[in-house]
Amino acid sequence: MEQVFPALATIVIGVGGCVGYFWASNLVLDRVIFPARGPKAGQNTSRANMLRPWLFLLPALLALGLYLAYPVFATAWLSLNRNTGGELAFVGLDNYRAMFAEAKFRESLRNNLLWLVVVPALSTGLGLMVAQLTDRIRWGNLAKSLIFMPMAISFVGASVIWKLIYDTREAGQAQIGLLNALWLRFEGGVWSTILLRALPALLLLGLAGVLAWLLWGQVGALARARLAGRVLRGPGMALGAWLVWVALSWAWGAATAQLPYGQPQFWLQIPFWNNFFLMAVLVWLQTGFAMVILSAALRGVPEETVEAAILDGANPFQIFFRIKVPQIMGTIVVVWTTITITVLKVFDIVRAMTGGQQETQVLANYMYDKLFVAVDWGVGSAAAMVILALVTPILVWNVWTARREMR
Amino acid sequence: MTHVAGRKPALTWTVHLSVGLLVLLWVIPTLGLLVSSFRSGDQIVSSGWWQALFTQESQLSPIRVAGEEVARDGVFVIEGRLFPGAARVSAWGTSSREPAAYAPGATADLGEGMGLRVEGDGFYVLTSARTTEGTRLPRIFTTAATPPEFTLANYRMVLFSPMAGQSILQAFLNTATVAIPATVIPILVAAFAAYALAWMEFPGRALLVAAVVGLLVVPLQLALIPLLQVHNALGIGKGYLGIWLAHTGFGLPLAIYLLRNYMVGLPRDIIENARVDGATEFQIFTRIVLPLSFPALASFAIFQFLWTWNDLLVALVFLGTSNDQQVLTGNIVNLMGSRGGDWEILSASAFVSIAVPLVVFFSMQRFLVRGLLAGSVK
Amino acid sequence: MRTDLLAGAAALALSAGGAVAQELKFPVGEGAFDWESYRAYDAATDLDGQTLTIFGPWRGEDQVLVESMLAYFEAASGVEVNYSSSEGYEQQIIIDAEAGSPPDVAILPQPGLIADLAAKGHILPLGEEARAWLVGNYGAGESWAALGTYRGKDGADAFFAFPYKADVKSLVWYVPENFEDAGYEVPATMEELKALTEKIVADGGTPWCIGLASGGATGWPATDWVEDLMLRTQPPEVYDRWVTNALPFDSPEVIGAIEEFGWFARNDAFVQGGAAAVASTDFRDSPKGLFASPPGCYMHRQASFIPSFFPEGTELGTDADFFYFPAYADRDLGQPVLGAGTLAFIMRDGAAARAFIDWLKTPIAHEIWMAQSGFVTPYKAVNTDLYGSAALKKQGEILANATTFRFDGSDLMPGAVGAGSFWTAMVDYVGGKSAGEVAAAVQASWPK
Repeated sequence: MEQVFPALATIVIGVGGCVGYFWASNLVLDRVIFPARGPKAGQNTSRANMLRPWLFLLPALLALGLYLAYPVFATAWLSLNRNTGGELAFVGLDNYRAMFAEAKFRESLRNNLLWLVVVPALSTGLGLMVAQLTDRIRWGNLAKSLIFMPMAISFVGASVIWKLIYDTREAGQAQIGLLNALWLRFEGGVWSTILLRALPALLLLGLAGVLAWLLWGQVGALARARLAGRVLRGPGMALGAWLVWVALSWAWGAATAQLPYGQPQFWLQIPFWNNFFLMAVLVWLQTGFAMVILSAALRGVPEETVEAAILDGANPFQIFFRIKVPQIMGTIVVVWTTITITVLKVFDIVRAMTGGQQETQVLANYMYDKLFVAVDWGVGSAAAMVILALVTPILVWNVWTARREMR
Repeated sequence: MTHVAGRKPALTWTVHLSVGLLVLLWVIPTLGLLVSSFRSGDQIVSSGWWQALFTQESQLSPIRVAGEEVARDGVFVIEGRLFPGAARVSAWGTSSREPAAYAPGATADLGEGMGLRVEGDGFYVLTSARTTEGTRLPRIFTTAATPPEFTLANYRMVLFSPMAGQSILQAFLNTATVAIPATVIPILVAAFAAYALAWMEFPGRALLVAAVVGLLVVPLQLALIPLLQVHNALGIGKGYLGIWLAHTGFGLPLAIYLLRNYMVGLPRDIIENARVDGATEFQIFTRIVLPLSFPALASFAIFQFLWTWNDLLVALVFLGTSNDQQVLTGNIVNLMGSRGGDWEILSASAFVSIAVPLVVFFSMQRFLVRGLLAGSVK
Repeated sequence: MRTDLLAGAAALALSAGGAVAQELKFPVGEGAFDWESYRAYDAATDLDGQTLTIFGPWRGEDQVLVESMLAYFEAASGVEVNYSSSEGYEQQIIIDAEAGSPPDVAILPQPGLIADLAAKGHILPLGEEARAWLVGNYGAGESWAALGTYRGKDGADAFFAFPYKADVKSLVWYVPENFEDAGYEVPATMEELKALTEKIVADGGTPWCIGLASGGATGWPATDWVEDLMLRTQPPEVYDRWVTNALPFDSPEVIGAIEEFGWFARNDAFVQGGAAAVASTDFRDSPKGLFASPPGCYMHRQASFIPSFFPEGTELGTDADFFYFPAYADRDLGQPVLGAGTLAFIMRDGAAARAFIDWLKTPIAHEIWMAQSGFVTPYKAVNTDLYGSAALKKQGEILANATTFRFDGSDLMPGAVGAGSFWTAMVDYVGGKSAGEVAAAVQASWPK
């Protein structure tokens, strides 16, 4: 209890200090250094206005510089060195070479790319869907709160929850994992065909359809776009086309797969697919985040534009995709970016559930292993640089949308 | 906006159904954990949590005969009950080979003058010609129907166990001491920076925005050692000041990014008009932009609070682990012991630790909604 | 200015805590403890008012035990001890050492990790005298002293870490009555153990419970199997060369030991749930099959700590017991024992830190813990009647009777192997890859 007072004092001092800094520095700037009085009033005002942004930015820049930029440069330097006996020795790109030669690294790179496509897409898509649908029903806020709830659970807690779901017991024993209990209900009859073949195949076909439709819309835009736009959109469209192809081939696969009915499955040990079972955990956690932000953006869409579309006879789908989504595109980019970055950094889930084994390694966990288990700073830092490099396309995308906004 | 759907009842039903389905999907995992947190460890591993409300017919782990031995009519007798609850025995045995050899009420001859009878309600009588003092008593294997049973023992263990060396209340306080300043300070710093990046003209602005996005991705783990070195060199060392600064640093990029993005979307004419009216930037920020940005501030506050509340890694590195510093997550992880934990402890502790974030979320949500409505009237 | 104010508030927040004096578990002077050593230490040590931070691996129930021992050190020396531990203590000690804020004394179970810290100059030598004491007073003293000897930053070998507390790993747990019900005998040789395994299958039962899952450390229980089998198929010198990589990981000797493990773990009929279940069963859940009805399995090979995960109320000796994981009768390799243990070392010099190492040399420092649970010691001067249970005493005897004692190899290997590729290799091996393939992968990952 003795802690309550100091904690409160700190909050008051910290917050008061921040407010005081901003207020006092403004005052000093306006009244003392460049007063908007006397013969140089005009000149002083413009000078003060040139300096003011930096006053506003200063604390943030200091904190960012020390806590994030400095470690990045330190890491970049470490990735070019080898640490032997406490001494750094410059080795050039040796660490990178060693890393790329490692099968475990290539595996984590492949898995990470998979994560980068699936998790942000599903979280943002589902979040957008929930945000839109709950807007129009009476118990919408309750539904939102329930979907948001996983955000309040730590990664470690979430891993526990999902381990319970994926648990496997011997055939013949009572299953305590929900997924296996459900799975064992299917025996290959009509319902199995409908739910396990037809439904996933149809969903995937639908996904392919939506993607193709969006792609088709972009083809026209590409023709009209300037050179810079074409260069930026080209790879995006190639990715889109590849995704359509993947969705189609998976739909075919889902419809024709031979499923081992009646046998309990070790979900986290099925090569390749176990990655998706891990991703489900993150999607479950992040959808609430996407939903909260997107629902705020949707409410900000001006009523008039929607009314106008209704008068023009647009159906709800057209209103959603043609009117609302384009207007909140900026927010969608933000959400997508944030979740992508969470994906790049997340390691707790993989660490707690599989430890990166059975071909589920991801870059962040690979880096953690190298840094703190193998104590190999060089390769660990090199892996961190790869994570940083992976964000470049998102960086470009963000700068591009930011510049468009400002125009 | 309801009028769009209002015209088509079929569509409304589809909406209700699909939202219901999604909510169900999202709630089931947590529900499973919640139910499990009220069951004993044995129950969790012997039947699915969704069966917790039904009577279970199952083979129970063997229970050893135990109790006071009394001499009665020349024989030694031990009487007792197998289980305190209302379970019904349907078959029993005394050997792992034949765990269901006898029906309830039957008497088993165990040799050497020893006999055992088990009733349907779990009452048993062991009779022996010689005293059983010093000999190993038999085990009873039962097949029994157990009615649903819930326990608060897990929560008692998590909340009042002396094992972790400190009370959970202290850990709550420590966590709050970490989380509240670590939520408020970055928001304040970020709000000013976001305003500058959104509405003030100066060279290098786009570059700074890009840099902020770039810094979002810096993995925390690689910043730990250089920063702790800096803290030790500056004399901050390990302590609350250090962890506030660290959380502020790590939380800033996202705060600036989200807030700038929201502020950019505010209507330009309000701000331009204020400028024309001669308001200073400081006034515009505090009187107009800050109130209008309330929803964004509230939502970021929720996220930052959740992260600092659930964080373990940053706390371990920058705060330390002595009793007056150990945070809730650290306390719970320690409770699980040196070699990991059991589901019953994990589930109860997960709910203890999410209680506060949930309360915060539900109370903040009202502000969130109000702020949003205020924003959309603009 | 703002920072100063904040620092003041932080200092206030910090001074609010305080250590809680713990009561002594056993009253001084009562029972068969070596109180003489306590009084002698008490008289010789006067460090009132000093503080000592100790960082160790023990949390939860174990933390209560270690703190009961530390209470006597506090009472005798006057030093105020701040013990702390955490999840991921291996990573935290690295971070703290590198950043320059280490504890005064650390206790860790991984000699491989301590060797890393010693090579970087993060820990201080304990001196030749401590080493000589160990050789003279611990059973198999030379091998214990060797465990604590590493190459320092200056390139010279020195004695850095003091072993305190041991664990016996070569144990097979079983339920005596299940053996009696089925008419099985405890095997005395590896040949008998294998015959028993096959007989249980022939009788329609499942002999083994094996679980490798352990979150981020998935795979480690299998490394113990392989190390135990290595000691039972190869002379100890080969084992020593293996853990230093003088013998490559993919040499036939090692592959042979891995395949021996495969004989048990990769046979669907031999393990509960079949071979596929091995990698996904949590090691904490795996012994539960012993107590199921009907028995899910009859035997479980695991170290001395596993009873903490037995069902509540299980009484060791009656409800469950263990036997020594036997050696081959026809190989003439004696009775090798695989073990583990923790080692204490000084990271920041001071009178209190040195006094703590001296404390570990008193019999009473061992007896307080061994009289409770989960503690075995090779210290010859302790009163073995004090062991808290018959099971502990039996483990102490196994340790004492060992013709060969070897430390857990994966803890001796570099972290990248012992806490990384070795685990992964074991998971891949039970998943169906060949022993040669996985061993080659481990060899490739060995830091050059």
